[in-house]
Amino acid sequence: MYMDAEDSLQLLEGVGRFARERIASMAKRPQSPINADQLVLLTQEASDLGILPLATEKEGFGIWQHTDAAQAMLFNIGALRHIAYASPGVAFAWHRLALARWVSARFGSAVGPNDLQGMLLVPTGHYGLGRNSLARWLKAGALSRQDTVMLSDWLNRGAHASTIYAPKDWQSLVWPVWSDEQIAWQHVARKDLDVRSDHAQHGLDELTGFTVLQTSTAGQTIKQEEDVSRRAYANMLKLDMLGLLAIGAGALDRGQALAREYAGIRRQGGKLIAEHPAVQHMLSDIEITRHKVDMALAALARPVDELDVGAVAATRASTSPALCHAANQVMQLHGGIGYMRDAGPEKLLRDQNMLKLMSGGTREIHAFLAGWTGA
Amino acid sequence: MTQQRHLEGHLPADHQLSPHWQFSNLPLIGRLLADYSIEDLWETDLTRLPRALARQRRRARTFAERHLMPAADELDLCTHLPAGQCHPTAHRILCEAGKQGWLSYFMPAPLGSMPWGTVPHAPIWQASLIVEEFSRACGGLMLLLSAHHLGAMPMLVAGNVGNILRHLLPVYQSCERGEPHLIAFAITEPAAGSDVEDGHGAAVYRPGVVATPTDGGYLLNGRKCFISGGDLAKTATVFAALQGEGMDSWTCFYVDCLAPGYKVARTELKMGMRASGAAEIELTNVFVPNNCVIGGLRNGWALNRATLNSSRIPVASMGVGFARAATEVAIEFARHYQVGGKALIHYQDVQLHLATMVAETRAMRSLVWQEAQAGWRPRQLSASMCKFHVTDRAQRVCEMAMDLLADHGGKHENKLEKIFRDVRLTRIFEGTNQINRLSMIEDWQAQLLDLNHRVGA
Repeated sequence: MYMDAEDSLQLLEGVGRFARERIASMAKRPQSPINADQLVLLTQEASDLGILPLATEKEGFGIWQHTDAAQAMLFNIGALRHIAYASPGVAFAWHRLALARWVSARFGSAVGPNDLQGMLLVPTGHYGLGRNSLARWLKAGALSRQDTVMLSDWLNRGAHASTIYAPKDWQSLVWPVWSDEQIAWQHVARKDLDVRSDHAQHGLDELTGFTVLQTSTAGQTIKQEEDVSRRAYANMLKLDMLGLLAIGAGALDRGQALAREYAGIRRQGGKLIAEHPAVQHMLSDIEITRHKVDMALAALARPVDELDVGAVAATRASTSPALCHAANQVMQLHGGIGYMRDAGPEKLLRDQNMLKLMSGGTREIHAFLAGWTGA
Repeated sequence: MTQQRHLEGHLPADHQLSPHWQFSNLPLIGRLLADYSIEDLWETDLTRLPRALARQRRRARTFAERHLMPAADELDLCTHLPAGQCHPTAHRILCEAGKQGWLSYFMPAPLGSMPWGTVPHAPIWQASLIVEEFSRACGGLMLLLSAHHLGAMPMLVAGNVGNILRHLLPVYQSCERGEPHLIAFAITEPAAGSDVEDGHGAAVYRPGVVATPTDGGYLLNGRKCFISGGDLAKTATVFAALQGEGMDSWTCFYVDCLAPGYKVARTELKMGMRASGAAEIELTNVFVPNNCVIGGLRNGWALNRATLNSSRIPVASMGVGFARAATEVAIEFARHYQVGGKALIHYQDVQLHLATMVAETRAMRSLVWQEAQAGWRPRQLSASMCKFHVTDRAQRVCEMAMDLLADHGGKHENKLEKIFRDVRLTRIFEGTNQINRLSMIEDWQAQLLDLNHRVGA
C-alpha cells in the first residue's frame, strides 16, 4: 500500500489527537502512572483505530506495519513521537508490540493472529550488543571461533536471564536465539519460561520489569536462509533503535514544553527566570538537542533496507546521551519542584535514562561499530 | 571460587615483566623511592588522614554498613507516609545514630560527641568524611541524619555560648540518650527557590515569612517549603524578615515545632532520598520568645550564607559517596557478570570505563578533602565551587555505572537506579549548581574587578 505525504500527515494528526485525548488524559498525574488495566484498554482502542497492528494479515497503516518507504517511516517515527509526548512508557510498550508483529510477519504462518495480543519482542541478547561479533555476523564476514562463542553465549536464553520491561499481562515473547551458526527467531509462551517480576525499576512506570530465563526446550524456533535471517535481524535492530530515538524525541518535546511553560511563569531575582542567562542557556541546550534529534530522525526516515545499521547505531550512541542531558536540563531549570514526582520532569528524566539502557545500551555501540567497520 | 592469575591484556603480577614485585629487591634508597604495598584504595586514603579522623571515618563506615545499608531499600520503596509519621525503621536508626553520636558531632564532649582528637581539624572535614560513608550506604538516611546538623549550624555560626548551651546542648544530650531530637533548617519559601541563596535575588525578593514583634517575642507568619527533615524535626531554625522590612532584615529564629500555629502541611513526593522527608511548613502566629532569636536581629542573611558555606562542602561529599557507591556496584558487576564466557572485567573497554570512574571519584574526593581540610572558615568561593563541580561529576559517574550495566542498569535490585535518583538532588539543593557557580563568582568579584592585579586561579 502506498502512503503519500498527505496521507502521512493526516494519519499523524489522528495519532496525535488520540495521544492527547486518551493517553495524555490518563497520564496527567506523573506520580500516578497509567496502570495495567488502563494500558490494556488503550491498547485495544489503538488497535481498533489501526494505530497498532495486532493481526498479521490485516492491511493498514499501523506502527511499523510498513517500513519500505520514506513516508511510511516518517509516519512510524512521528506516531511514536506523538504517543511518547503523552507517555513514553505507553509508546515503548506499543513500539515493541508493533515490532513483535513486524518480526512475526516474517515468520510466515508460524504465528497466528491471536498470538499477537500480549506478545512482546526481546530484540537483543542478555547484555550489550554482542561486542563486535554481532556486527561481523551482520556484515556476513568470516566469523572467528571467538565470534561464535560470543554470539552463542549472547543469545543463550537458558544460561543467562534477560531483563525486559513490558505490560504486566504479556503472554508470549519472540526473541533471537543462536542456532546452527546463525540467528533464528524463537516464539515462546510465558508459561514455558521462568519469569520473575522485579521489585521496581528506574523508569517507564507504566510497565513492569521482568527477569526471564528459559528452562525448557518449549517454544517454536524459526530458521531462515542465512542471508534472509541476517537482513531481517539487521532491519529489526534498525527499527528498534529508531523507535527508541523517536520515543526519546517525544519525551524531549514534552520536557521542552514543560520547561518553556515554567520559565515563562516562575519569577526569581525580580524577573521571570526565562530572562536569566543561566536559564536561557538550559533552554537553548534543550533546543539544540531537539534540533539534533530532529535532524537525526529526518535523516533516518528512509526505507529500512536502505538504512545502514552502523549509521543508526552511531546516531543512537550520540543522540541518547544528548536526550538524557536535555531531560536533566528540564529538571534543573525547574529547581526543587523539578525533583518532585508530581511535577513531571523527574519522570521524563527516568524514562530517558531507561531508553538509553534498552537494547544493549549505548556503551557497547563502540564495539559494535568497530565490528561493523571492519575491526 | 578460584582466583585467576591475571586479567586479560595484562601480565600476571609475578611475571618477570611485572615490575611491582621487584621493587622490594631494590637497595634501601630505591625501596624508599619506589617500593609500595598494594592496598585497598579506601584503606590507602585512610592512612592519609590524621589518626582521629581516620578512626571517625572507619566508625562511620561500620555504622553505615550495619544500620543504613540494610534499611535503604525498605525506606526507598515504602509507601509515602503522612506528614509527621516516622517509619519504624527510620526511628530505630535515628535512636541508634543518636546513641552513637552521629547527631551531635559538631561539638566535643561534654557538649557533644566529637572525639577530642578531631578537635584540631576543621569540623566540616569530619562531617565530609561521615557524609561520604552515609551517602554510599543510603542517600535518604544520610539526609535524615545530616540535615539536622544544617539546622544546628546557625546556632554554632552565631557563636553565642549562651544560646548554644540553652538550645543546642539539650538537643545533643537528648540525641545521645537515644531520644532523637532533630533540628530543621528552614530558609526556602514557595515563591523563592534561589532567591534565598543568592544575594542579587534576595535584594529584590519580597519575604514570604514575616516576624511581627509582640510582647516578649515575635509572631511568625508565612510558609517554608522543601525543608529536609522538617516533618520530623522537634525544633527548627527559621529565617524570617521583620515586619515591614526586606530581606536585609532576615533574622534567624529558633522555633519549637510543637508551638501553636506551626503546621507541617505536607511532605513532597521526591524522586530519591525518600527516607528523608521534604516538608512544607505553615506558620500562623507562631510565637517565638526573644531568647530564641539566634545571632541578633537582622543578622539572618549573614548566618544563612555562613551556614551554606559550611554545608556545601559536605554536600559535595555526598556526591563522592554516591559516585563511590556507583563505582563499587559497577566493579562488582564487571567482576561477576559473564559475557562470551568470561567476566566483563577482562574486556579492555570495560577496564577503561572503570578506570575513568575510579579516577573521577578519587579526584572528587581529593577536591573535597582539600577544601574541607582548610575549612575552618570556609570561603564562599571554595564551598560553592566544590559543591557544583563534585555533584555534577558525581552524577556523570553514576550514569557511567548505569551505562556499564546497560540492560540491567535500570533494575532496582542492582542499586544504581536509586543511587542516580539520590545523587540527582545534590545538583539542586543547597542552591542549584547554576546558583553555586554565580555564588563563586560573587565572592570573587573584588579581585575580578581590580584591574591593577593579576587574578590567580
